[in-house]
Parts: sequence; structure tokens; C-alpha cells
Amino acid sequence: MHSGAYASTLLKVVRSMASPPWYPGLILRQAEEVGVQSLPVVLLTALFTGMVLALQSYIGFHRFGAESMVATVVSLSMLRELGPVLVGLMVAGRVGASFAAELGTMRVTEQIDALWTLSTDPFRYLIMPRLFAAVLMMPLLVALADAIGMFGGYIISVSFLDQTPAVYIESSTMFLELSDLYSGLIKAAAFGGIIGIVSCSEGFNCSGGAQGVGRATTRAVVVSAMSILVFDYIITAWMFR
Amino acid sequence: MSMPKIQVCDVKKCFNGKVVLDGISLDVMPGESMVIIGLSGTGKSVLMKCMLGLLKPDEGQILVDGEDWCTLPEREQLERMRRIGMVFQGSALFDSLPVWENVAFALLRQGTSKKEARKRASHVLEMVGLPGTEDVMPAELSGGMTKRAGFARAICHKPEMVFYDEPLAGLDPIMADAITQLMLRLHKEFQVTSFTIAHNMTLARRFGDRIAMLMDGKIHRILSPNELDSCQDPAVRQFVEGRADGPIHVLEG
Repeated sequence: MHSGAYASTLLKVVRSMASPPWYPGLILRQAEEVGVQSLPVVLLTALFTGMVLALQSYIGFHRFGAESMVATVVSLSMLRELGPVLVGLMVAGRVGASFAAELGTMRVTEQIDALWTLSTDPFRYLIMPRLFAAVLMMPLLVALADAIGMFGGYIISVSFLDQTPAVYIESSTMFLELSDLYSGLIKAAAFGGIIGIVSCSEGFNCSGGAQGVGRATTRAVVVSAMSILVFDYIITAWMFR
Repeated sequence: MSMPKIQVCDVKKCFNGKVVLDGISLDVMPGESMVIIGLSGTGKSVLMKCMLGLLKPDEGQILVDGEDWCTLPEREQLERMRRIGMVFQGSALFDSLPVWENVAFALLRQGTSKKEARKRASHVLEMVGLPGTEDVMPAELSGGMTKRAGFARAICHKPEMVFYDEPLAGLDPIMADAITQLMLRLHKEFQVTSFTIAHNMTLARRFGDRIAMLMDGKIHRILSPNELDSCQDPAVRQFVEGRADGPIHVLEG
């Protein structure tokens, strides 16, 4: 039932992109909300993920004497998979919930109707800036998360696993290809689009007072998170060919 | 005889098979104040939303100055909204913007400079008795102040028509009287056409040039304020006197 609403939101976005107004000021404000405000949660998640990954992969590699591969595994995993997916899930929880709750509250308090009566297209004014901000900021967040995750692996490997900084850095980059980086960034932009479309649709089409806003917010987070995992497989399989 | 400002022609609207508006026809003349009364759930708000383009009627036309607004493309409908001001029941101020930006919202969207828009907003805020509240956030205002800020927003861009949805709901009697006086003053000063949904009979009598009673999705009667008191129609009498017993059954099913 809701996939129809998401598809209709996507179609309307594509149609609306062709003509102004685009509200650059609102896009910037939302970019700050999606990007800057998400930094603490995203960076902490990435740091500890990189640290755990280093420890876990060390256990496996130590069994056949390939400890130097820890750095390669950490960097490849962060760039290709864990960076975009974990940041996507964190942003879905933080920003997706905020989009849905804010738009849902605006819907039930008639603020969206008020926009229309003030000769402003509510769709353009509310949804497009949020969606653009999510698509633009997700790759930036993921790039930072990748770097911090790799740094987390470095700290653990150098401090506790007896690896030298020079060897760790060399192993980190030796087997990397440019496609490892951009495949993660493409995923990040796609996940940003998913979070924007799902959360904004849920909030914008919400009904039923406070309970309705609660339902829309829950659905926004759950559907965004599930969609990120499903599309992660689809995009990976597509790039794998 | 002049042409009606707003013509509602045989408008029908259903939700999930339930008929809410069943062939409503109504004319509002330029500069007139039309008040709609009726039981909760009889479709007053649905009628207003259809007139504002927020809902599309299933059948019928809504003409403004002879032009059917329902069939216009969305962009043109939005263009025409500049001629309208709307006061919402709950005020519907934008939480994220200070009062002055709420009030000057339409002007800012129309490309008026910030300086000019703020000046105009300050003037209108003073007019509604809220001087010095320009930089206050809506959450910091009291109920009555929020209502007046909603009024200021509805008239700041000098609309030709103002729609009021239950403007006195939730106000104490003194504030209700102050708001009624404000509505009368604005109606007179701006010479706008007004369309009001009201449950408050004092407001209906004082503010309405004509009062239409909506019942079972149809216009039951259209009366002047004087006729409202002398009308012997049992449904009108029951509503005006606020009695639970009578031809309108409110506690059924």
C-alpha cells in the first residue's frame, strides 16, 4: 500500500526538479540538519565499528599467520559495505524519524494546508529540500565515516596488535581500488534517497493525530532500514557483475 | 446586480462511500460575510477545504469571479491563492519561524524584500494588538495571541477573500469578544469577502450578513441574523438554542 505513495513521491520529485523554485536556502538548512547534526552519532559508530572489525579479523587471520591483512579487511569492509550501511541505518534512525515526525506534526496541525493557502506548494517547500539534503549529505557522511573507521582499526592494530604504523597504512591501501570508494559512495547517495522518500512520504501523508504521527515515524524508520538492507544487496549484486 | 464573488454549484463530496456534501449550492457576494453553521461532522470544513482547493469535489464547480478553480492546474491554483487569506482553527503557525516570518510568509514567497516584508508584518501585528512580538517564536505565544498572529498572517498580503475556520474555538469569552471585534474591523477596513465556519451563535449574529445552516450534507436554510432569531424551523431553533432534544439527533448510534 505504501510503496504506491513512495513511487508517487519519487515521480513528483522528478517532475518538480525541472522547474523553479528550488529553495537553495532550505536545502542548506536541511543539509546542516542531515549532515552536521548527524556527525557525532555517525563518527562514533564508525570509530567503534573499525575498532571491533580490527579485533575480530585479527582473531581469524592470527590462526594462519596473516595478521598483516587486518588493515586490508578493515579498509575494504568499511569502504564497500559497513560505511554506507551503518551510516544509512544511523541516519534512518535519526534523520528519517525527524523528517517523518516533523512533517506528520505539520500535517495534523494543518500547517501543510496553511502553506497551500499561502500560495506555496507544500511538496516543493517541504519534501524537495529534505530529499536533496539527504542525497547530497549521505556520501559526505560516509566518506568521513570510512576514514574514521579505518582510523579506529589503525588505533587497535598499532596499540594492541603489535603492528607498525607504516605496515598498517601500507596494507590499508595496497589492495584498494578506486571502485571500492565510489561503490560505497553510490550506495550512500541511494540510501539518502531512500531515507528521504520514505520518511517524507510517511510524514506528509500522515493522518490520525498524535497516534498517526507516532505510526508514521515508526514506519519511516523501519521501512527505511529494511529498504537500505534490501537495496544494499541489489546495488552490490549489480556492481558485482 | 453584481456577480457573486464565490459560487458553489452543486458540489458533491464522498469519503469511502459516505456522502459528506450532497449537492451544495451557495453564492457569496463581493464584500459579504457568509457564516456557515451546523452540527460537527456535517461537512462544513470539507466544504471550506473544497473552496480552498485543498480537496477536490467529486462533482460540481466552485467559481471565483466566474472562474472554475477546481479544474485549474496546480500551479495556477497556487497563483490564485494570493487572493485568499485563511485563519485556521488551531492557527497553524509554522513552529520553526518567528512570528514576523509567519505573518509575512506570503509576501516573502512573492519576492518582497525582507526589510519591506518585516515592516509590513510589524504594521499588521500592531493592528491585531501584538506589537513587539516580531521575533517571538509561536510556541511562546498564548492561545489568544496565537489566534491574532494567525489573523495577521491571513491579511498581511491584502487578500480579497478571508476564510475563517472556527475562529473563536477554545477562547475565553473576553478574548472571543476581542477577536470578534477584530474580525469586524478587518472585514470593514479591508473590504474583503468573508466566509466563516462558526459554532458560536454570538459570532454568527454579529459577523454574518447571511448565515447558512448545513445539515445532512445539504444547505438547510440561509437566513439573515435577524431571521435567525425569528425563524420557526425546528432544526434551526434547536441549533440556535443549543438543545439536545429536537429533530437533530446527536446521541444516536
